[in-house]
Amino acid sequence: MITTHMLPVTAFTALAECADDPDAIRSIGDAQLSKHLMLLHAIAEAAVGDDDGPAAFRAAYELFARIRATDPGAADWLLGLPHLGGWAHDCLIHFERGSAADFGHFACVVAAAAVRAGFPFELNVPVQDARVRLPGLGYLTVNGSPSWIKLSCDGTRVTGGDHFEADWRRIVPDDGSGGAVPFWSGTPMVRAVAEGLTWNTLLETDDPYLDRYSLPMSRNISVNEIQRWRDRFQEGWEVLVRHHRWAAGPIADGISVVVPLTPYSDTDLVSATTPAAFGAIATSWPPDLVTLAETLVHEFQHVKLCGLMDMVTLVESDGERIYAPWRQDPRPAAGLLQGAYAHLGIVRFWAAQRYVETEPDEVLRAQVHFARWGPALNLAVQTLLKTECLTPAGVRFAKLLQARGREFASESVTAEARATAEEVALDHWLTWQIRHVATDLATVARLVAAYRNGEPCPRSLQPATPIAEDVRKVSSAMRSRVLSMRYLAPARYRELCADGVLPLGHADRLLLAGNTDAAVQAYRDLIAGSAQPEPDAWIGLGLALHRRPASQHRAAFATRMALMYDMHARLGQQIDPLDLAGWFA
Amino acid sequence: MMTSQEKDISTAIPDLRDIPADQLATLSSSVLANSIALYRERLKDNGIPLSSFQARI
Repeated sequence: MITTHMLPVTAFTALAECADDPDAIRSIGDAQLSKHLMLLHAIAEAAVGDDDGPAAFRAAYELFARIRATDPGAADWLLGLPHLGGWAHDCLIHFERGSAADFGHFACVVAAAAVRAGFPFELNVPVQDARVRLPGLGYLTVNGSPSWIKLSCDGTRVTGGDHFEADWRRIVPDDGSGGAVPFWSGTPMVRAVAEGLTWNTLLETDDPYLDRYSLPMSRNISVNEIQRWRDRFQEGWEVLVRHHRWAAGPIADGISVVVPLTPYSDTDLVSATTPAAFGAIATSWPPDLVTLAETLVHEFQHVKLCGLMDMVTLVESDGERIYAPWRQDPRPAAGLLQGAYAHLGIVRFWAAQRYVETEPDEVLRAQVHFARWGPALNLAVQTLLKTECLTPAGVRFAKLLQARGREFASESVTAEARATAEEVALDHWLTWQIRHVATDLATVARLVAAYRNGEPCPRSLQPATPIAEDVRKVSSAMRSRVLSMRYLAPARYRELCADGVLPLGHADRLLLAGNTDAAVQAYRDLIAGSAQPEPDAWIGLGLALHRRPASQHRAAFATRMALMYDMHARLGQQIDPLDLAGWFA
Repeated sequence: MMTSQEKDISTAIPDLRDIPADQLATLSSSVLANSIALYRERLKDNGIPLSSFQARI
């Protein structure tokens, strides 16, 4: 009789609280092996007929069953491959769409496990892009253009087609130590070692089933580039092991593949995780070792939560898209939960890292990160709980992670760091409101009429403000970048200020210079004097008001920004935005 | 708040660790069938959500 995996309550709690519990991680990993077996079974039921693909799948499945019976470790290695998960999900998606799944690829996966264990076998394997891919190991280059070749191992030698023969012990990933085997290209491997803790991970630049992120996988990277990644990982690993040991051990156990991504520009850092490939993360080139360490912590949080969400339903429905303090776009509930959980790890990281740094600029960066993400995490969980999209287990999980986040948030930070963090967070929130909060035309018309007639703002005003993507265009990204530059790249910021070449308009320069009253006036003039709506100036005015003591104007900007903006557009541009804000107060 | 005395949580993943791969087809377990159906339903509803993060410097 088949039962289901059971998750100890202590493991659930430890995961929610981001606590140090190797058993909790192990529980998730064990379930993933069963999940992959389950998916293989589902694919096996569909692998029927005489075509080459299904036939190769069946032969591979039979070999896999024999390997599992005689060498469970080799079978578990196969079942733990993120590559397997990526491919299995693709098969299921093809089944849903009624399109042809790549059944034959499973022969490559099983051949990889057999080769790695020196297990005797003979399989027909597909050739793609003149390569036979052995996921987790590398690929064999094939002469000519056959669609399939025979791959075999007699327990000593691996033979492929009529051109390849090598000792199975040499068919391994490339750890950079040389010893090339003709026709064989090992997947680049990174071995990072610090204080006796080793992390072996593959730098996957070839597998098509792991090229599934929002940015393309970096393929065909040079030997020098690979070495550059190895060096950066070694540096980042030292940071993690020395100062964030709670994260390093589980990462060494849980992340077996890193997919390098090609970003849109050199200044973008993009990282990602997909539940389709447990054990893999993806990232573009991390600009420094601390950023890499933080990225590993961040993405491993997603890996853990993806594993947990396979086991336990935490989110029942997605409901309306909502605000996430770390994203430009509105997010579904499941996405916000993922983000909140990732940021619990981030807050824990910066809580320690701010005491590690010694250079003033680095201390500032760490302090602002810490000051920004703690409150953001709390806000996100509050938002999530209000959606009623979470299951009882999801509510429990969210409350546990919120409580843990609040423990960190109660720690002190410098006034400068707090002020910078609050301003950057406010800029994000105001920008998001202008971009994504829609207003009801009839309500706006009614309010405009009341304002024109000199009537007071209706006290019972509860206008509908549905969230929709990009209802208004905002082009204040440069100001946002400069605001963040103050702590992300303070030396560059000082340089731009000293040279007088900050790429900003007059009002923004006044704001950045701390000339608050002049900035408020400049934004008001811009809004009232322009024939066109000035969304960027509205956001700037909200930021400038925030630098003044608390006021009713300030509160109106924080909560009624989109409504005021749309009313102002209807009223005509000569209206002073502060008069309007005062009307709402 | 849960305590460690509470029962373990039953999950949606069938425990196949001790089941030989070649016997899965003959077991025809409803637990396995239900789990697969649930998983495919989830995939159909959500696609493969991606948790991606973008920071700009």
